[in-house]
Amino acid sequence: MRPGVLGGEPDIEALIVDRYLESLLARRPTDPSGVAADLRATAQRLTAELPRHHPSFRFEEALAARLAAVAGRIEAGELVDLPIALDARERADERAGLARPVVIGGVITSAALSIAGAAFVAWRRSHPPLAPMSRAVRAVARMRPV
Amino acid sequence: MARPALGRTTARPEEVGRPRIAHLDRDRSLVTAAQADPARFESLYRKYVAQVFNYAVYELRDHHEAEDATERTFLSALTNLHRFEERARPDDGEGASTFRVWLFQIARNVVAERRRARRRRPETPLETALEAADPHDLEHAAVVRDEASAAWRAVGRLDGDRRRAVVLRFVHEMSTAEIAGILDRSEGAVRVLLHRALRSVAGDLRRDGR
Repeated sequence: MRPGVLGGEPDIEALIVDRYLESLLARRPTDPSGVAADLRATAQRLTAELPRHHPSFRFEEALAARLAAVAGRIEAGELVDLPIALDARERADERAGLARPVVIGGVITSAALSIAGAAFVAWRRSHPPLAPMSRAVRAVARMRPV
Repeated sequence: MARPALGRTTARPEEVGRPRIAHLDRDRSLVTAAQADPARFESLYRKYVAQVFNYAVYELRDHHEAEDATERTFLSALTNLHRFEERARPDDGEGASTFRVWLFQIARNVVAERRRARRRRPETPLETALEAADPHDLEHAAVVRDEASAAWRAVGRLDGDRRRAVVLRFVHEMSTAEIAGILDRSEGAVRVLLHRALRSVAGDLRRDGR
């Protein structure tokens, strides 16, 4: 890591730059002599040039209406989906390495194949579809030489 | 939340054994009102919708995806508001808002989920899409000019938390403590992030000759 402009620790330089930025954003710039000129210029450019995006009026009003409807449901004591709670759980699962193998029918498979999926496949095999075309395709497949 | 929203992880000695009292949170009355009556969440929504949308645009670089992320953020905030606990303290600074930190933490999670979905389903980035826009659409052309600015592009080239720190600092004008709370880092780490990001952007702009 390169040394700070003051010749000291980079952390100290970061602290000095941070104080300068605080003052810049407070519109009361302090003495900038401890901050490298290119960093000062860049900070000023970023403050002035980075665009601020605003949502459209239509979107803002539509979302306000949707939130009002959800607020009404909460007030009425209804259960409402909690997408963030699910996201947090997904991340925790990722960290815990949830993609661990699962044993189904003596075969090690991925967790992506659910037990319900395996049960459906087993049921499907024992219950051929009723559609004539499906039965015909299966019959042809059975006759095909290996 | 498991940790203080403004970046501290331990209580000070004088605070141990007595409840924390928040004096200065600028959103405290609005939050309390919304917790009592969810219909009053609208005040908080109106106050922060532009900020959350703006953050999402910088992260996702797609206005439609940003709208979607904004919607999910506020729906999540509303449905989880009863769990929010105010933690701002006097020396967190005048106007410190842990509600804003909490809201942006949600936005950050939502955006991360959108980015993961995008990796599974790649789409055209904003810059390319804008180049293909109707040349007679003046409003769109203004957006192209804005977003194609050197500063916008340089910030877009920063990676992960450096980019987020710069956007939160320079666009949303957040304090180091607030950024630390949102990014789940110490204030010292955020200072270093910002410093390195600034150096990187300075070098980028110099190379661009602008």
